[in-house]
Amino acid sequence: MIDLIKKLMLTPSVSGREEKIREVIKNEVLPYADEVYTDNMGNLIARKKGNGKKIMFCAHMDEIGFFVTGIGSNGNINVSPVGGINALSATFQDVISENGVCGILATNSSKELPKYEKLYIDIGAKTKKQAEKKVQIGDFFVCVPKFKKLLNQRYVGRPFDDRIGCAILCEAIKQVNSDNDLYFVFSVQEEVGSRGSKPATFAIAPDIGIALDVTATAEKDGDSSMDVKLGAGCTIKIKDPSVISSPELVKEMRKIAENEKIKYQNEILPFGGTDASVMQIAGKGARVSVISIPSSFIHTSCEMIDMGDVKEALKLTVALANKL
Amino acid sequence: MKELLNKLSLEFGPSGCEDRVREAIKEEIKDYIVGKESFVDPLGNYIIHIGGNGPKLMISAHMDEVGFMVKGITDEGLLKFGTVGGIDPICLGAKRVISESGVRGNIVMKPIHLLSPSERGQAPKIKNLSIDIGASTKKEAEELTFVGDYFTFDSDYVEYGEGFIKGKALDDRLGCAIMCQLIKDIYEGKIEPKYDTYFAFTTREEIGYSGAYGASMRIRPQYAIVIESKAVADIYGVDEDSEVARLGDGVIISFADRGAIYDHTFVKHIKAIADKNEIKNQTNRYISGGNDSMHIQKNAEGARVSTLSCASRYIHSQSDVIHEDDLFATYETVKEVLKNDRPN
Repeated sequence: MIDLIKKLMLTPSVSGREEKIREVIKNEVLPYADEVYTDNMGNLIARKKGNGKKIMFCAHMDEIGFFVTGIGSNGNINVSPVGGINALSATFQDVISENGVCGILATNSSKELPKYEKLYIDIGAKTKKQAEKKVQIGDFFVCVPKFKKLLNQRYVGRPFDDRIGCAILCEAIKQVNSDNDLYFVFSVQEEVGSRGSKPATFAIAPDIGIALDVTATAEKDGDSSMDVKLGAGCTIKIKDPSVISSPELVKEMRKIAENEKIKYQNEILPFGGTDASVMQIAGKGARVSVISIPSSFIHTSCEMIDMGDVKEALKLTVALANKL
Repeated sequence: MKELLNKLSLEFGPSGCEDRVREAIKEEIKDYIVGKESFVDPLGNYIIHIGGNGPKLMISAHMDEVGFMVKGITDEGLLKFGTVGGIDPICLGAKRVISESGVRGNIVMKPIHLLSPSERGQAPKIKNLSIDIGASTKKEAEELTFVGDYFTFDSDYVEYGEGFIKGKALDDRLGCAIMCQLIKDIYEGKIEPKYDTYFAFTTREEIGYSGAYGASMRIRPQYAIVIESKAVADIYGVDEDSEVARLGDGVIISFADRGAIYDHTFVKHIKAIADKNEIKNQTNRYISGGNDSMHIQKNAEGARVSTLSCASRYIHSQSDVIHEDDLFATYETVKEVLKNDRPN
């Protein structure tokens, strides 16, 4: 699974430009699904048919990054952020374009917290003309993907958000053995406001919707208002500002986790949101919750996860698919 | 097409009150849609199913414009108001306005000698502005208007300079005018659509609620093109990085705005068609704004969307300014897209 995670992370695809990551995931799930298709908005949907409950699992394929909006006379590249970029982390980092052009994200003042409008990319071009040969308006850049092992089972890099969820779904589809009608959705454009999961949910009309995504941790992100620890198991989301999980579903998820001896934590996230918020109200509506993978330093270039939590999240995903 | 734009732009149609614009459009195209399904849905959208062989395509433009709504009447007969849609209050001082029933007024503000030093040089606040309709008592005013009454800018359509057009509500009557022309072209056999084509004249875009929400839920298109006007700032004092796009540089084929990241394949397809037909085109060089496409993209099973816009200076004021070259470039682009097969 480590190789798969790494492969998914090293395939840059920002919101609205998920073509490359979609191809990788498609090849991964194709042998295990009854049908695999891409909808109008670009969501990749893999189905394992069954006569039981219709369950939609959803992880988003897109990542945060930048769109090129212009090229200055000095060859500097103007950019606009896609999704909630952490400017503090992104500034003075290596970046890479969809076509492999390398550069750094810079700002004219290194003394204060950078503002989005002041950020630009320097690809080493001396003139506008030179830059225009390499980069076009509308191209995307991302902070260079990274994947490194640290002590214990901890890994650091980007974008764990949400390639780790994608990897778990790719793995789960190989392991499930269920009568339920299972949809594994790899959604687009989550980072710009959970846009892709809306049409996917409408078309599928699931009974139950479960998103897989990362969540913040208390001890490292310094938010004492939540109670999630890295390495203490996957989480079952009770609430975040975008969604209140179905209490019946949460109860069932806990029961299954306990029966299967899966390590889980209860999660109430004081900020952010996931595709679950949209799955709950799109179409006819669904009972939803989220299996989260604790991650410190989300949306920076050094998101950190504990592989132990990932294993628990995978076990819970498979158990829910089989037993819900 | 300019005559039609002139006519449509002068029609009264703030968001939620688009009846007159819709009637004018119906009158304009009635002889060209004989035998075609057309209807007005409960949100007031006017939808015409033209047909054609291919995937379902929805072409839309919104009928409504920004305006004002009366919120209260003072004892002195002045009208307190709120804006319908986004209007920068700095555009408002001493501007002429007109109500649905034709009552004329002026937006009044405190004269400069009564402004406190801190108020001077600042943009006025809407709550400090009112509309003077020439009434001197509440009772007099109540004979002419009521709380909930609509007003819009009272402004002329003027062609000036080399190809410039100034008027109110060019956002988005220009889209309506282009759609009417396309419907006529199809009727006259100048275009044979390679899509199963729907035209939707939508309501309430300016207040974000968006009649297009209902229209797209009903049509459930696979592809959608929104024809719009886009706020630009190619003016003195704005640096090149922030001007968004330029008047006269052709149709804006957007790659993204605040409401939608446009379908990459469809956008590239449209750009290639424009280039091949030597239609002047540009893209947005700043990410701002949003339009009906944000709903159409995500509604029902989702759609592959694109927005084609004319650059507009001073948008949402009494003086929207566009360039006729952009108007025709936008029209030509949609026309050529209709004639070509869908993207691979």
